[in-house]
Amino acid sequence: MAERSQPSANYSSWPVISALTIVSLPLLLMYVYLFLDTVTVKQPDALLPSGLTLDHWRFLWQTTPGKANIWQATVNTLLFAACTTSVVLIVSSMAGYVLSRLNVPARGFFLAGVMVLHAFPSVTLIIAIFIVLQMIGLYNSLIGVILVKAAIDLPLGIWLMKGFYDTVPWEIEMAGVVDGASRFRVWRSLVLPQVKPGIMALGLFSFLSGWGEFILPQVLAPGNQVQVLSVYLAGFLVDDNNYDFNMFKAVGIFYFLPVLIAYALFNKYLMNIYGGGSKG
Amino acid sequence: MKSSRTLGLVMIAPAAIMIVLFFLLPVVLTAVFSMTNMTTATGISGGVYQIAPNSLITLKSAMPDIAAEISEPRYAIDEAGLKAVEGLGLAPGIAGELRAKHTGEVFATRRDAERMIKDLSERPSTRDVKQISEQFNRSVVNTRFDSKEQLFSALDTLGLKLTPEQKETVATATYTGWTWTTDNFSRLATSPDMARVLLNTVLYVALVLTLFNVGYALLLAIWTHYMPPGPASIFRGIWLLPRITPVVIYVLLWKWLAWDSGFISILMGKFGYPPKNYLLDTAYHAWFFVVLINGFIGASMGMLVFSSAMKAIPKSQFYASEVDGASRWQQIRYIILPQMRWPILFVTCYQTLSLLASFNEILLATNGGPGNSTEVWALAAYHTALRNYAGNLEYGLGAAMALVLVVIGVTLSLLYLRVFNYGTLVAKPLIED
Repeated sequence: MAERSQPSANYSSWPVISALTIVSLPLLLMYVYLFLDTVTVKQPDALLPSGLTLDHWRFLWQTTPGKANIWQATVNTLLFAACTTSVVLIVSSMAGYVLSRLNVPARGFFLAGVMVLHAFPSVTLIIAIFIVLQMIGLYNSLIGVILVKAAIDLPLGIWLMKGFYDTVPWEIEMAGVVDGASRFRVWRSLVLPQVKPGIMALGLFSFLSGWGEFILPQVLAPGNQVQVLSVYLAGFLVDDNNYDFNMFKAVGIFYFLPVLIAYALFNKYLMNIYGGGSKG
Repeated sequence: MKSSRTLGLVMIAPAAIMIVLFFLLPVVLTAVFSMTNMTTATGISGGVYQIAPNSLITLKSAMPDIAAEISEPRYAIDEAGLKAVEGLGLAPGIAGELRAKHTGEVFATRRDAERMIKDLSERPSTRDVKQISEQFNRSVVNTRFDSKEQLFSALDTLGLKLTPEQKETVATATYTGWTWTTDNFSRLATSPDMARVLLNTVLYVALVLTLFNVGYALLLAIWTHYMPPGPASIFRGIWLLPRITPVVIYVLLWKWLAWDSGFISILMGKFGYPPKNYLLDTAYHAWFFVVLINGFIGASMGMLVFSSAMKAIPKSQFYASEVDGASRWQQIRYIILPQMRWPILFVTCYQTLSLLASFNEILLATNGGPGNSTEVWALAAYHTALRNYAGNLEYGLGAAMALVLVVIGVTLSLLYLRVFNYGTLVAKPLIED
């Protein structure tokens, strides 16, 4: 044991482990049952399942009347999340570089602005954009929602990329410039590879946030043709009369699985964002 | 693109354009909309002028005589009426004489018009007189006019002579579109409902912030700090789940836990309690769950920030304190907490803004209910402008409510930039060419 993360071995760790286990139980319970309920049969008043079934997954091969097709919704969600991610990545990796390294007018003002924008409530944007889209008749299109979502994620993206660029040593750029490369070339081929962890982190964050986004598509693109999975699932949720938890949960798992897989594979990168290491 | 200045401007342009178009412009528009009485009833583009029954009622209080005059039908001898009379198949002389002698005349009552018709040289029968006069019955009630000028000229041809001020009053009373107003803000300032929503918001932010985003997050960080790395990372992973779960599924889980066919009901059923909706049956229960639902999400961010800050504390301080015989509690009290000041301040600032603006979880879980007990400001703005079950979506009022949030958000974040010493974040570029 060359390096221990706990402060001391003098204190026993079982009291804290058991305390944390107890408070974590409700959360664990919810997630365990989320999986369990989708593949099992349970009597209405029973706590434990009595048999296995795949019936709750029937939404995969049959479309509920009045509902969007699940595969259509999945494609929409994928399209929405992927497009948002690419826009955020491209735009903020350029803007972040400018704010970190290049000499542009009103740089400080722009940076402060980005910080302040991050605090803007999204409900403002939704109301105004909803009215504008209604006015110009572009309501219910996926492109509009993608742009709005990307714009909302941009301040955080720019700020993060700026933080990552700040950690790249100046010597790399000096060397590039001395060798006669333009600043753009230096950015493209020398600096960008240095901030790969940042791009991974931001990309994953954007993708997950786009995949889970609910309120923007709900308000700006609720139609069946452009519906995303969150809106599809929320449609079940608000229908108080017809509550089939097990099927909702199956849809939920279907929707959640990509998130879990992405998270399991790349959580090291994502921690860069959630740890807030590069912020303030 | 040799100079870094041009390159910088080119590279920042996409971000600037997107932020202006989809971020700043909507905020400006929110401010504009907040100064209007735009609703679904008034429409979002310009309206028309229509003397509808309800506009006559408003007019009656201002100008009773004119309102009465406008609401009465009038008899105007015009070309359209003459054509209609010709089409009736009566003696051809009638229409001819009317056109020659009476075109442009207006009669205030039916009786006046019919007296004139009876005096025509053809002397139509009483039945025909009725038929003829009907063709000239002109009323502005329920007619739509696209502009003020059309409305006024219609009133003029009916012989309603109004002064310019009276015309303006009529135009205001009969306009069906939206108009500029500051009523939204006075409504916000005086309505008891808004005061209630404001109180809810303060309560919500304060409870979630202190109990979970800071308090419980700190507890989680300290607990995992005193654990071997294996269990610590497992627990951190568990408490990150709410943050990575899409909000719709996350709320679905809580509903499963708390609804009348859900887990708690089944569990309590084993002890003989009848099943009930634990999420929505009383305001206290709703609040309890709203705080838990949002708190569990917020706890993870604080946990990560605090954990990484604790890792940065030099181990030697802990070892030294142990040699001196410090208990675990003393370590927390005298070593960890004093060094958590900045992380705690950061999390508090950041999460206050997030909590003020977020309403997804409450919308999906309780939708502000039961009654209005869990309606917070952002959710109320959303409800007012976009999901109003009373039917009339009040865009203007909703925008005004959203604007209040913008003002609070900007003020707070400017304050925070001060606190966190913004100047040190913007270092000068080293390469100048």
